[in-house]
Amino acid sequence: MLTYVPDDTLAHRLDPRSKLAVQLGFAAAALTHTGPRAILVLSALAIGMLAAAGVSPIRAVIAARYALVILSLAPLLAALTLGPPWIETDAGLTTALASYRVLLVLLVSTAAVRSTRVRDSRAAIQRTIPGRPGHLLGIGVALLFRFLPVLRADIQTIRDAMAARLGAQRHAHERAGTIALLGLSRAFDRADRLSLALRARCFAWNPTLPPLSFSRLDIPALLLATTLLCSTLLTTIPL
Amino acid sequence: MIEFRSVTYGFDDVSVLEDLSLTIENGEFVVLVGPNGSGKTTLLRHCNGLLTPDSGTVLVDGTRVEADLIAARSTVGMVFQHPRDQFVAATVGADVAFGPENLGLDRPEIDSRVTAALEAVNMADREDDRIETLSGGEQARVAIAGALAMKPSYLVLDEPFTGLDTPARRSVRSRLESLSDRGTGVLLATHDLREIRDLADRVIGMQDGQIIIDEPPEQALDDCAELAIL
Repeated sequence: MLTYVPDDTLAHRLDPRSKLAVQLGFAAAALTHTGPRAILVLSALAIGMLAAAGVSPIRAVIAARYALVILSLAPLLAALTLGPPWIETDAGLTTALASYRVLLVLLVSTAAVRSTRVRDSRAAIQRTIPGRPGHLLGIGVALLFRFLPVLRADIQTIRDAMAARLGAQRHAHERAGTIALLGLSRAFDRADRLSLALRARCFAWNPTLPPLSFSRLDIPALLLATTLLCSTLLTTIPL
Repeated sequence: MIEFRSVTYGFDDVSVLEDLSLTIENGEFVVLVGPNGSGKTTLLRHCNGLLTPDSGTVLVDGTRVEADLIAARSTVGMVFQHPRDQFVAATVGADVAFGPENLGLDRPEIDSRVTAALEAVNMADREDDRIETLSGGEQARVAIAGALAMKPSYLVLDEPFTGLDTPARRSVRSRLESLSDRGTGVLLATHDLREIRDLADRVIGMQDGQIIIDEPPEQALDDCAELAIL
């Protein structure tokens, strides 16, 4: 789910810079607007963006399952107190809403990742953020999204290898330890090989990037991004 | 007996196995051939429940695989295409012991199984060697030992000759021959039928998730070449 999939959806036809702007606007709005109405609007927007990228909301939530574990634990930890009354419902509820807003941001990012080629994301970042910081960020994003699926496949292979010889019979902590240790060792191994491959193929900090161009389709996306950013600024900056 | 009854399996809207039926008898040596993407690995992974069919049933010795995964996984030993993918421990001995430990056996029995499995693949006295110090051929043999230590009735191997040089291929081949002679059923996927044809009782050719050849090895080579699946 966290990889680009070729398609011809509305999101696929947008310029990656528009998608970047919408993501930034959405994340800013999700962090500043905390009321129930705003959350409803943001939820509808997130579902709309997933639909525009041809992603089922359920599959997107499943893709975010590892983050969901942490997001679900956060309200519980926030609600706990070290003395009476032991559980503060209000604190838990506030954190639960914050967790939900973070989940919405993740869903919007899933739609963007699903509909944007890694090279285009890198080009969008490098053209939006000038100079060395843009290069670094672009390369970082490109490497992350190329590396992440490989690492996930490695973890799945380790799990299969364990399952094939009844590893599932072991305690969960022992399984998690083995997977973490092997996963880490293979991640370093992969990183070494990736570094070698990059050098072998003349890795450049400033390669020729794919051409990007806005079209009419980008107008509503850019308007949405602007609206979201303006709503954030109006909320945070006292007039 | 391993039995596939009308098994269909797919992922991401792509059908990989299509209404596939197949029976592998006890002690039989079956070679599975077919081009990349024909469904060989997917078929093998159903044998010990690493994959579950979308429809249809896989039975091992008469029991549905999903109904008793422990029985299926101890009866069907699995050797992955790349031995490195299969290792879960740092040393040879620890890795081969992984399966027997999961069966809850006592330590003397585990030690005896590890010794026997390593002897069977000509790797005796190498228990303390670190996996990464082994050659490709040695890794392949340790991977087979890992499966053998479970004392399986069937051994399922996914392209075990990939990346091996000629002596290593010969070594793996001779291990398989002696296992087969001792009555272990073998289901082996390969791209090179010539390598293993004389050991096989039967050759199965796959294409697009379906079995298109199921015949004795004498006829299989010509038919596979004719159908361009080799």
